[in-house]
Amino acid sequence: MSIQDTIRAQVTGNPVVLYMKGTPQFPQCGFSAAAAQVLKACGVTQYLSVNVLENPEIRDGIKQYGNWPTIPQLYVNGKLVGGADILREMYASGELARLLDPLKTPG
Amino acid sequence: MVSAEDIRRYIAEGLQCDSIEVEGDGHHFEAVIVSGEFSGKSRIERHQRVYSALGDRMAGEIHALSMRTLTPEEWREAHG
Repeated sequence: MSIQDTIRAQVTGNPVVLYMKGTPQFPQCGFSAAAAQVLKACGVTQYLSVNVLENPEIRDGIKQYGNWPTIPQLYVNGKLVGGADILREMYASGELARLLDPLKTPG
Repeated sequence: MVSAEDIRRYIAEGLQCDSIEVEGDGHHFEAVIVSGEFSGKSRIERHQRVYSALGDRMAGEIHALSMRTLTPEEWREAHG
């Protein structure tokens, strides 16, 4: 399986996938921390997070996959939603909450 | 080290802009970009357009670039 196939399997096999530096508990970059925070603020706590610092092939591959050169990247239902700036704007406008509402973690 | 002015110039060379402001410290930069080319494009597509103007520099010299991408109409609404 090529790295592009691996990424496709991740983003289509999971409703919410966050590619980030570090983990949601221990983010290793301020932009990744902000992305994990807005997900939490929208009530999404169960999602696939991929630590690109531990996966150099994915770190390179994800930049090609979505034609997006920076980390973090949020995928929802297989589609690239954005990086840190876009997530912040969409959170502020309420768009992100609307998008993620059906995917909220129960309880 | 790349400067805010370098980034402003790189973007201006690759994208028709009404205005570009870039601030930064050599590592993290913030840009506000106003361009008619953004009309009818999603946020993702706008950022991708700027990234394509920056080309390989995003993979190398530029570590972190925050962006706000606005059409001239959106800019006027925000600053009217």
